[in-house]
Amino acid sequence: MNDPSHRDDEWSQLLESIAQQRCKTSFAQFFNHFSPLLKGFLIKGSRLNHAQAEELVQEVMIKVWQRAGQFDAKKSSASTWLYTIARNSRIDWLRRQANAVTEELAADDLYEDETSETPFSLLQHHRQHNSVHDALAGLPDEQALVLRKVYMEGLSHSEVSEDLALPLGTVKSRVRLALKKLQDVIGREVLA
Amino acid sequence: MREHEQVNTMIKHHPDDNLLVEFSAGTLAFAQSIAVSSHLHFCDHCRRRAERLNSIGANLMSDCDSVAVSEDLLDKVFSKLDQPGKTEVRVPKGRSKMPRVIDKLLTQQGQPRWQFLTPSLDMARLHTGQQEFEVALHRIKAGGSVAEHDHRGTEITLVLDGSFSDENGIYHEGDFLMRDAGQVHRPLASRDAPCICLSVVAAPVRMTGKFTRLLNPFLSFKPQ
Ligand SMILES: [Zn+2]
Ligand SMILES: [Zn+2]
Repeated sequence: MNDPSHRDDEWSQLLESIAQQRCKTSFAQFFNHFSPLLKGFLIKGSRLNHAQAEELVQEVMIKVWQRAGQFDAKKSSASTWLYTIARNSRIDWLRRQANAVTEELAADDLYEDETSETPFSLLQHHRQHNSVHDALAGLPDEQALVLRKVYMEGLSHSEVSEDLALPLGTVKSRVRLALKKLQDVIGREVLA
Repeated sequence: MREHEQVNTMIKHHPDDNLLVEFSAGTLAFAQSIAVSSHLHFCDHCRRRAERLNSIGANLMSDCDSVAVSEDLLDKVFSKLDQPGKTEVRVPKGRSKMPRVIDKLLTQQGQPRWQFLTPSLDMARLHTGQQEFEVALHRIKAGGSVAEHDHRGTEITLVLDGSFSDENGIYHEGDFLMRDAGQVHRPLASRDAPCICLSVVAAPVRMTGKFTRLLNPFLSFKPQ
């Protein structure tokens, strides 16, 4: 908590030993830390009930086990990697609920090209992660609220606009303002 | 910073922040996400943007109020870990010319089934398992032009191969364009090569009479 960069390092190492040694103790540690967060994310976010959220937590954690070998600490931080797995599982879950699932595509097919060609160093990832963390904490409430609605509750901009009874344009500009603020901070700290 | 900009310096048109945030949060319509995903295939700059946006999601997730999981959940997961099958084999990411998601759709469906629309324009629908958007490939013959048309619904166009231009500029491989309903334009392929685009259009308002079948964006002619 106090030192997220150190923590993230620890999670990266756990993922590596899960991948290389197929180590179940490491996996249990990873699971014990992240499962309650994932469950919180899914319950708050997608309005899943407890049983559904646990279904999804299981699904995500099994993917962590299966895909640990694809994790590359140079390309992303452990928590960002986990976030993308959780996000994709949530997308597919919601599509299953809406009966929109077909054999054609799954969320993973849409999101496999997300890391850039020129990987960050581990240090840069830590800095990015930390500075995003700090910058988020420094956002004005109204901007932070909109970002949370989008990321946590999984609402589109127009759904946020309905939810908060704000014009769509206002929602969009709050998101842009928040990004600009994050960008300034990240730019300063990561690329320094 | 500098190297990645050399990867594809031709790309001048990118998804805007709002669209990319929705993509990163997983709230963008599935069909539109296909277009954003395809753009990322070409655009290292936006892959980096997406990465940063994902780290916002990761931070929010890590800071969220945790909810205890059932005591036996870990055991349940353990019992499923060693089930055979389902080891995910992924072909390493080579930069094949086509975005992987398009490749996949085409592999599932076989070769694109081009339909003749006009002497200079063909279209092949992609089956993506959703109804709100029409997802299709459009092919404009070298030097060919497309009738002036407006957009009944939001349309995203992504250049997959070749280039085309309209009143507002010229678009190359990887360029991402989003047009709102009501915008009018008249695309023109470059003289030397055909242009293939991915288009994702919000299901347009159905037109009446003889135009009913002309539901694709390039042919939804402006009413006279
Ligand atoms: Zn781009
Ligand atoms: Zn058009």
